[in-house]
Amino acid sequence: MTDIQHKTFLFDATRCIDCRACMVACSVENKIPMNKTRIWVAGVGLKGEFPALERASMVYHCMHCNEPDCLSACPVGAYSKRLDGPVIYDPKKCIGCRYCMNACPFGMPHFDYDKGLIDGAFIDKCSMCTQRIDVGLEPACMATCPTGALMFGERDELLKYAHDRLTAQPARYLNHVYGESENGGTSYLILSHVPFKELGLPELPSSPVKDISEAVMRLTLPSTLGVGAVLTGLAVGVHMVNQKKESGAKKADHSESSAQKTK
Amino acid sequence: MKLEIRIHPRFHLKPLVVILLALMGLAFIIAMVRYAGGIGAISNLSNAYPWGFWVSFDLYTGIAISSGAFIITAVVYIFELEQFRPLVRPTLLTGLLGYIMEVIALLVDLGHPERIWHYFIYQNFTSFLLVIGLYVMAYAAIMLVEFAPAIFERLKWDKLSAFIRRFMKPLVILGAVISTLHQGALGALLLIQPAKLYPLWWTPLLPVLFFISAVAIGLAMILFESSLSSRYFKRGLEVHLLGKLARAIRFVLGLYLVVKFGQLAYAGDLGYLFTSGLMSVLFWAEILIGVVTPLVLFSIKRIRKNPNGLLIGSIILLLGMIMNRFDVSWFAIQHPDPLTYMPMFMSAVHYFPSLPEVLVSVGIFSAGLLAFGLAVKYLPVFETNEDQHDIVS
Amino acid sequence: MPSTLSRRDFLKISGAAVGALVIGEFLPPWVAQAARSNGLLDASDSGYIPSMCEMCVWRCGLLAKVDAGRVVKLEGNPDHPHSNGKLCPRGQSGLMNTYDPDRVLTPLIRVGKRGQGLFRKASWEEALDLVTQNMLDIKQKYGPEAMLFSSTHNLSQVQFENLLNAYGSPNYGTQRSLCFNAMIVSNLTTYGMEEPNRKYDDLKYIILTGRNLMEAISTSETSALSQAIDRGVKVVTLDPRFTKTAAKSAEWLPIRPGTDLAFHLALINVIITEGLYNRNTVLNQTSGFDQLAAAVTQYTPEWAAPITEIPADTIRRIAHEFAAAAPYALAHNGWRTSNFVNSFQTERAIAILNALAGNWGVAMFPASGEESGVLGAPPQPAYPRVSAQRLDGVPWKYPFVPLKIGVFQELREAALSGTPYQAHGWFIARQNPAMSLPDRGRTLEAFAKMDFITTVDIIMNDTSWFSDVVLPESSYLERYDPLNIVGNKAFLRQPVIEPQGEARSALWIYKELGTRLGLGDFFQYSDEEDYLKQQLAPLGVSLDQVRQKGYVDLPGEGPDFTEPIWNTPSTKIELFSTTLDKGGFAAVPQWEEPLAPAPGQFYLLTGKVAQSTQFASQNNQLLNKYSDEPRLWMNVATAKSLGLSENDLVEVASTAGKIHIKLEATQAIRPDCVYLTPGYGHLSKGLTVAYGLGASDSDLHLTFTDPISGGQALSQTFVTVSKI
Repeated sequence: MTDIQHKTFLFDATRCIDCRACMVACSVENKIPMNKTRIWVAGVGLKGEFPALERASMVYHCMHCNEPDCLSACPVGAYSKRLDGPVIYDPKKCIGCRYCMNACPFGMPHFDYDKGLIDGAFIDKCSMCTQRIDVGLEPACMATCPTGALMFGERDELLKYAHDRLTAQPARYLNHVYGESENGGTSYLILSHVPFKELGLPELPSSPVKDISEAVMRLTLPSTLGVGAVLTGLAVGVHMVNQKKESGAKKADHSESSAQKTK
Repeated sequence: MKLEIRIHPRFHLKPLVVILLALMGLAFIIAMVRYAGGIGAISNLSNAYPWGFWVSFDLYTGIAISSGAFIITAVVYIFELEQFRPLVRPTLLTGLLGYIMEVIALLVDLGHPERIWHYFIYQNFTSFLLVIGLYVMAYAAIMLVEFAPAIFERLKWDKLSAFIRRFMKPLVILGAVISTLHQGALGALLLIQPAKLYPLWWTPLLPVLFFISAVAIGLAMILFESSLSSRYFKRGLEVHLLGKLARAIRFVLGLYLVVKFGQLAYAGDLGYLFTSGLMSVLFWAEILIGVVTPLVLFSIKRIRKNPNGLLIGSIILLLGMIMNRFDVSWFAIQHPDPLTYMPMFMSAVHYFPSLPEVLVSVGIFSAGLLAFGLAVKYLPVFETNEDQHDIVS
Repeated sequence: MPSTLSRRDFLKISGAAVGALVIGEFLPPWVAQAARSNGLLDASDSGYIPSMCEMCVWRCGLLAKVDAGRVVKLEGNPDHPHSNGKLCPRGQSGLMNTYDPDRVLTPLIRVGKRGQGLFRKASWEEALDLVTQNMLDIKQKYGPEAMLFSSTHNLSQVQFENLLNAYGSPNYGTQRSLCFNAMIVSNLTTYGMEEPNRKYDDLKYIILTGRNLMEAISTSETSALSQAIDRGVKVVTLDPRFTKTAAKSAEWLPIRPGTDLAFHLALINVIITEGLYNRNTVLNQTSGFDQLAAAVTQYTPEWAAPITEIPADTIRRIAHEFAAAAPYALAHNGWRTSNFVNSFQTERAIAILNALAGNWGVAMFPASGEESGVLGAPPQPAYPRVSAQRLDGVPWKYPFVPLKIGVFQELREAALSGTPYQAHGWFIARQNPAMSLPDRGRTLEAFAKMDFITTVDIIMNDTSWFSDVVLPESSYLERYDPLNIVGNKAFLRQPVIEPQGEARSALWIYKELGTRLGLGDFFQYSDEEDYLKQQLAPLGVSLDQVRQKGYVDLPGEGPDFTEPIWNTPSTKIELFSTTLDKGGFAAVPQWEEPLAPAPGQFYLLTGKVAQSTQFASQNNQLLNKYSDEPRLWMNVATAKSLGLSENDLVEVASTAGKIHIKLEATQAIRPDCVYLTPGYGHLSKGLTVAYGLGASDSDLHLTFTDPISGGQALSQTFVTVSKI
C-alpha cells in the first residue's frame, strides 16, 4: 500500500523487573495528573509458598488493537486507528457514555470520575506517544526501560524477533506470542514465563470481540423491514377479518330487521 | 388467599406527595453535586466498573418496564382486541414516563450530558449504544404522539386529537417495530462483552432473548397495571380478559425457556449450570423466579381467575426479569481479581452503589410517580365508556 | 585570623546576587542565553540540554528537554556509559525533585526551638554571615577540630573537602561507612584498589550476595545483569528475602542473615580441596595460598550447612558450577553483603573467590580513578597543619579505613560522648544523618549537644529540620558541578533551567563561606564557569564546546588490562593479607559467629526499592504515586502463628526504640526475619508529602561497627513484633 509500517510494542515479561520507570516516564511525558495513570502493573505478583516462589507481573497500557473494539462501540465515533498503529481518542466528540470501557476486553480506557461539567470528564488512555513517534522518537515508556523488557518497532520485525526468542530459549517462555492473533491481533505483543492469565491478560479468540456485535448490527435493517412487514401484514389481515365479521353481522342484522319489517 | 391492599383512592395522600417531592429534591441536589464534582463525587463507579446501578436500574429495568406500551398498543390497534382498550392510555403513560425518566437519568450518568445532541451529528453505526439512543428518542416521541390525544381532549382540541387517531395504526406499527428492535438492542449492547459476561448469559442470541422476555414483561406489566388500577382507580379490566393475557404469558415464557436452554446446549455451556458458584445461584434464581414460577402459576386456572393470583404472578415475573436485567448488566460481568495492581488506586475492583447514587434513581422514579399521579388527576387517562366505542380507522 | 570583609567585597557579593536577579527580569535569562548560543535551545527556549542526574550515586548522564524555560522531560544520555540512554524511575522523576513545592528556595534561620521547624527567611548575606560568625567562634574557643563536616559524597565533594581542610578540621564524615566500607577495605587489602570494575559481556555464572541490582538500580549495571540473564547466564542469589533480583535468578538461596561468610568459606574450601582453582593465577598473581588453604580446611559444606540453612549438596554443587564456569564466573562483591560485622570477612572471601577463579581481565578490571591527573584545578595553597585526632577513630582506632571514607557513626558517637574531645558545631551538606545513621534517638541527642548546626540542602529534610541555618542549594538541574570522570570521558553537569528562588550551587556556597572565613585563597575561582574553565584548561577545550555534548574526551590510554598492578605490599593479590596481619587481625578470612536473635525476636532486614533513593526521595510525588506502601514484611506463617494478619498495626521494638507500622504478610521472606524499606517515617513537617508516611528503621537500628573496615552493621538489630 504505502510504506507506512505498523508500529507495535513487544513486552518480555521475563525481563521486567517492575521498576516502574516506564510509568514515571509516561506520567511526565504526557502530563498525567497524580491520581491517574495511563500505564500500570497488574499480575499475580508473588506466586507460591516460601521458599518455592516466583514473580509475574506485566506492564499494561492500551493494546492498540488492530481491530479496536472501542472504535466499534463508541456511539459517536470518538476513536480512530491510524495507519501506522496508534488507536487515537478524540475528546471533542466524546459524550462520556463509557461504553468503550465496557467494550475493551483489557479495561484500558480510564475515565475522569473526578471532573465535573466545567473541567470536563474525558477518557484517557495510552496514545503511543504520537507526539514522540511523529518526530522519530520512541514512546516514553519503552525509551527508558532499563532492561529492554519493553521494545518497539515494526510489527513484522518484532513478531520475527519474538518467535526467534521462543525457538532459541524454549525453556524460558511459554510457547506463544500473546497479541499476535488475540482479539484480531494487537499492537502490544507479549512473551511470558507464566500463563498469560496470571499476568492479568484475558483469554481471547482471534476474532475481535466486536465481530458478533457488528454482525448482529448488520441484521438491523433486514430485521426492521421484516418486523415491519410482518406487523403490517398482521394489522391488515386482522382488520380485514374483523371487517368481514362486522359486515357479516350487519348483513345478519339487516336481514333480520328487514325480515321483521316485512312481517 | 385474598390480598387486602387498602389504600386511599385518588391521591389525596399529602404525606406521600411530600415524601416523593422530598426525594425529588434530594436527587436534584445530588445531581448538582455530580455536575460540580464529577460522577465519582456521588457514586462508586470506577474504571473497573464504568457501568453500575444506574444502567441496570434506569436503563435496563426502566426500559423493560416500559415495554407494556408497545404490547398494549399492538394488542389493541394491530390485533384489534377492543376489550383491552381501557388499558392503552395508562400503559402508554407508564411507558412514556419510563422513557422520560431514563433520559433524565442519562443526563446524570453521561459524562457530557450537554453533548447529548452528538447522537445526531456524530454517528458510528457499528455501535448499539448509538441505535439505543436514537431508538429511545424516536420511541419516546412516538409514545408522546400516541398519548397526545389524551392531552388534546383535555384541552378540547378535538380536531387535533382526531387527526392523530386517524394515524394510530401506522404509528403503532412503527412504534412496535422500533420497540422490537429497541428491546433487542438492549440485549445486543452486551454482545461486545463476550469475554466479560459470564457464559450462562452471553450468547449471540441475546437480542432475541431480550425481545422474548420483553414481551413477557410487557404482558406482565399490563396485568400489573390493570390490577393496580382496579384497586386505586376503580378502573380495570375484567378478570377473564386478564386471564387471557396470563395464558399468553405462558407461551412466551415457554418459548423463552426453549430458546435459552437450547442456546446453552448448542454452545456446549450446559456444564456451567451447576458448577459456577454464585453465577449458578444467580442464574437459577432468575430462571426459577422470573420464568418457571410464573409459568407454573399461570398454568393453574384457579390462579388465572383470581385477581390477587394474577397480581402476584405478574409481580413474581417482573422481579425475576428485573433480576435478569441486573445480572446481565452488572452482577454477571466478570472482573479480573485477585491480582495485584500498581499504582494502588488501580486496585479498586469492587463496586457497590453508594447511597447518593441510589438516591438519584429513587428521586427520578419519585418524579415519575408524581407525574403519573398528576396526569391521572388532570388528564383523561382512564377513558370513559363513550370512548370505548370510538371508531378507529 | 579572620579577615574582615571589605566594603567593596561585600557590595560585590551582594550586588552580584541582587543584580543577577534583577537582570533576569529584563534580559533573557543567562542559562537560556548560554544554551541558545550553543545551539541547544531554539528561540522559544526549547530543546535538549545534556547534564547529569543526581537521584542516586550512579549519576547517569541525561538529556533534559526544556520547553519555554521549563524542564518537561528527562531522557537518558546515550553517550553516558552509566545510562546508555536509559533512566531508572528515580531519574525519570527528577524534574519533580526540582519543582517540588516543598523546595527551600531562600536561606532560612531558625527562630523557634530546634525541631519545632520555625524558621525565618533571610538574605544570603545574613545567613552566610551568621554561619561564618559561628564557625569562627567555635574555631576560636575550641579549635577548628570542634567543627564537624559531613556530606554524602557527590560531585562538589572536592570543594567540600577543600573547605574543611582549609578550615583546619580533621573531622570529615561521609555516608560510606553506612554503605560499603566492608567492600572497600576488603578490596584494598586483597587487590590494593578500592573497587574493581565489572564487565558482564563474557560471563557464564554470577553469584550475588545481597546486592539487589534489580531494585537498587544502577542503570547500566542493572541493564548488563538483565542482558546476561537474557543470554542464559546462571545467576545465584543469596538473600533472606525473595527480592526482584532473586526472582530473576536461576537459583535463590534464602540464607540465614549473617552467615554469607560461612557459605563463601565453604565455596573456597571445595574449590581448594578439590583443586578447582585457576592454577596460573594462583601461582603467578597471588600470595599466601598455602596459609589460605590451611585455614579453610575446616570450612566444609557440611560445616556450613546447619549454619547457613542451605544444604551441603547445594553448596558443593554451586562451588563446582562456579569453578567450571571460571574464568567466566563472578562473585559480585556488592556493597556489604549481609550487613553484619562479619561482612568484612565475607567481602574478603568474595574477593579471594574471584582470584581463585582467575577472572581478572574477564569479569574484573581496574577502575578508573575519580581524580585524574588530566584535569586542571584552581591553584591551592598548602592546608594548615591539623594536630587534633579525628573523632571517628581514623586512623588511630581504625587503621585500615581510608581518610576520605571515615567511620561516620563513630563521629556521631564522639559528638555524644565528648571523648576524646567535645565537638561543638556541625556543617552538613547534601546529607540526612537524622535518617541514615543507626539509632535516630542518639543522632538527635548528638544534635542537641551542638552549639551550631548548618545544613546545605534543597528541601527541608529531617536534618535541616533540626538545624540552625539552612542554606538552599540549587537542584541538580539548576547548577554546575565539577567535572565527573567516567571511563575516558569527563562529564559536565550544567544548569538546564534558571535556578529557582535564591538557591545557589554548592560551588558558590563553599566559595562564599570560605571567603568570609578568610580562606579565600583556597577558592581561587570567580564563579562556577570559571572553576570549570580551570578544570578544562589542560585539555584545550572551551566550556561552550563541552556544554554542547555534555562531556569531553580525555586523552591518554585507558587503564591497562594486560599488566595488572596490585597495589599491595607484596605487589600480588593477597590471599594472606600482610596489612591485616601486621594490624593484629586475621590475615586470611575466618569464620566469625554472627549475633543471632533470641527466641521471640526477629532479624530486622533493610534493603532498597527501585522507586526511592535512601532518605531523600520520599517527598517526590511522582515516585510516591508508583511506590508500594511502606509496611513491615513478615512471613505469612510467622504472622499467623503470632495471631497477626495483613494490615494489622504492629509495634516493632528494639533496645534502641520502637515504631508503629502496618504489617505486610508475605511469602517472600524467611520466617525468622522482618523487613522495612528505609527512608520513611520522616520527622520534618516541611516534607508535606512524605511526612506521616510509614516509619523509620533508624529509630530501631543499633550501632555496631566492624573494627577492621569501620562498616556499620545495619542488620545486626533484632526486634520484637507485637499487635497494638
